[in-house]
Amino acid sequence: MIPRVTHQTIQRQTLANLQNNLSAMAALQAQMSSGKKINVPSDDPAAASDVLRLRSDQRVLAQYARNVSDGNSWLTTVDSALNSSLTILRRARDLTVQGGDGALGPDSREALATEIEGLREALLDQANTTYVGRTVFAGTSNAGRAFDDTYTFTGSPTANPVERRVGAAQNIRVDSDGAKVFGEGAGSVFALLDDIATTLRAGGDPTDRLDDIDVHMSNMLQEVSSVGARQNQMDRANAAITDTKLTVTTQLSGIEDIDLAEVILELQTQEVTYKGALGAAARVLQPSLLDFLR
Amino acid sequence: MSTFSGLGTALSSLIAQRMALDVAGQNIANVNTPGYTRQRADMTSIAGTVVPSMFSTNDGVGNGVQITGISRLGDLFLDTRVRTETAGASFLSARASAYTTLEAGLGEPGETGLANQLSDMWNAWQDLANTPDKTSAGAVVLENSRAVADRIATLYSNVRTQWDQSRASTVALVAEANAAAANVADLNARILQIQNSGGSANELMDQRDLLVTQLSSLVGASASYREDGQVDVLVGGNALVSGARSHALAVQGATSFAAATGDADAVPPVPGQSVTVVWAENPGLGAGLDGGEVAGLLTVLAPPDGTGNGGALTEAAASLDDLATALATQVNALHNGARTVPVPPATVGDLGGDFFSFDAGQPPALGLRVAIETPADIAVAADGAGALDGSVAKAIGDLGKAAGSPDSLWSKTVVDIGSRTASLTARAKVAEVARAAAESQQLAQASVNEDEETINMLAFQRGYEAASRVLTSIDEMLDTLINRTGIVGR
Repeated sequence: MIPRVTHQTIQRQTLANLQNNLSAMAALQAQMSSGKKINVPSDDPAAASDVLRLRSDQRVLAQYARNVSDGNSWLTTVDSALNSSLTILRRARDLTVQGGDGALGPDSREALATEIEGLREALLDQANTTYVGRTVFAGTSNAGRAFDDTYTFTGSPTANPVERRVGAAQNIRVDSDGAKVFGEGAGSVFALLDDIATTLRAGGDPTDRLDDIDVHMSNMLQEVSSVGARQNQMDRANAAITDTKLTVTTQLSGIEDIDLAEVILELQTQEVTYKGALGAAARVLQPSLLDFLR
Repeated sequence: MSTFSGLGTALSSLIAQRMALDVAGQNIANVNTPGYTRQRADMTSIAGTVVPSMFSTNDGVGNGVQITGISRLGDLFLDTRVRTETAGASFLSARASAYTTLEAGLGEPGETGLANQLSDMWNAWQDLANTPDKTSAGAVVLENSRAVADRIATLYSNVRTQWDQSRASTVALVAEANAAAANVADLNARILQIQNSGGSANELMDQRDLLVTQLSSLVGASASYREDGQVDVLVGGNALVSGARSHALAVQGATSFAAATGDADAVPPVPGQSVTVVWAENPGLGAGLDGGEVAGLLTVLAPPDGTGNGGALTEAAASLDDLATALATQVNALHNGARTVPVPPATVGDLGGDFFSFDAGQPPALGLRVAIETPADIAVAADGAGALDGSVAKAIGDLGKAAGSPDSLWSKTVVDIGSRTASLTARAKVAEVARAAAESQQLAQASVNEDEETINMLAFQRGYEAASRVLTSIDEMLDTLINRTGIVGR
């Protein structure tokens, strides 16, 4: 059946078509101006879920990157403190060897003893190194100093290291156990240096303590290599984070960003269609039989 | 056939053509009137007298033309179809627009949505784990957590506002339907009077049919026509309009969002109440709406059903409640056993209490509060660990990525509402296309075509001219007969 056509049906049809064209244009223009394909979840519910997940991944990765840079600062602080301590201890060892010379007069011995005490002071300073207010050798302690004047270690047990989260399942320890590096109380490297100074003043031979110095030195060297290894881990973690960040950004962009060329082309096509519809409307709605009757 | 009967024939044509021209004029006048159905003057030829008798003068020629009526060229079936499609389309469109509003209120996926705020909160916890001794980090945790709690409450109250508005519009729409039904009843009465007195009530019928279509759109009404020209309007099988009487509808049930959501956590649980439409004269009897905007709104206002398929708004509220509860439970579980940062010389902090709490007598999403007032009260250290340990803060910071995290609940809610919106919008579009098609068929049948009316005008004008020519020629014929006959040789 051929349906009857009246001006009203043409009007309605034209109006509906124009409306459709215009709303398609509006949708494309919204995409163009926002640069996003997904403006509300219903645009593509599955993709919206991915977008939410990837956005959250992005933020977590940014946080991991912050953790890495904080951890790196800790490790660098520990590393430089350890290296300075080693330099100090080497100097102390040299002085101890000098003190073994039986021909030394009391004045020379006194001078050596004073210098060793100065080195002990410097070493204690290194052991109490802080990073933004935290003692890096005392773990989670809040005492403010890793070693007090009696060389007592104030740090917490090794069971509670300071760690930084650098990946979903990866933590890296960023502090150093002061008790292991410097020893505690009477067994500490500080007490050892004091002891050597006392021996020197008393005219004794301090060289029999060289082995003890070597033990402490090797402890420090061990820690230096451990810190170095951890710094390597940190760098690898950082590289992984940067890589993943790039991947996530690429995925996110693939899901929610528009293909500009495609949208522009669609918009052009839609514009032509709309203009065509407008032209058709202008022609169809204009004439009636009345224009031709005289 | 009498000598003068030809005059009568011509006169009947003059009258009929003029009347038909009037009808065409009425059609053209109403070319753009909504609901107007085109009319036609029905012309019937008048037969000659056919009684055979000895002195009958009948020569078998008819006696002219008469207008037997003015018919309305509508189509009952097309009208019915338009109403059915309108009821379905309005139902879906009401639901789709409710979901669209709800979805727009979520603010996802956006830079400022709840998902990002949750991420920011978890990140702040990690920062605090890195620097437990910094009150600034603790302050950021508190601010971000308050922002999350506020956001959840805002989302909840948005949903509640939408529910209140939807209920108010349901009441308004039912009132509109009642007014329309009363109008239909009134028009029924007037149409009956006019038809009984032999008049034509076409224009009133147009108005009435327009109102009936409006009722279909509002409450999914269907129409049944009576022999006497009146129409009965039915809703859910019962008469909304019966002849000259109309029966009013009323809205009953939950009057507040709290009543609609119920309280699943109360002992015993309070089930949510529905909003229903009933007959005002018999409030115990539900109207049983199965289409139209009001029925759509009723499904939107429905209580949660426990499986996620209840009303759009109450289900969204239930999801937000679950989210708030999960957030508080998960964070509190870790925070409760942890210790705060001690002030030297103390080396062991206090036990942290609940981090999140709920205001009593409020739904969880609305009553969620950060119980901690100052950064110093945030517990970050594991019990038995060092003073500046941050492992609990770190564990809380990791909650966002864990299974069953508040983030995953929220993502599920967003995707659920998004996919329902997408599917309902698509269905509403399809229904709208069907409605538009039905309406265009109805219009094709009932609307006025100007060209057609112009042609008709031409035809009636020519008919009128020809009838007057017939009159003239009979007149001349009679003139010959009367004035010129029998004057031979005068």
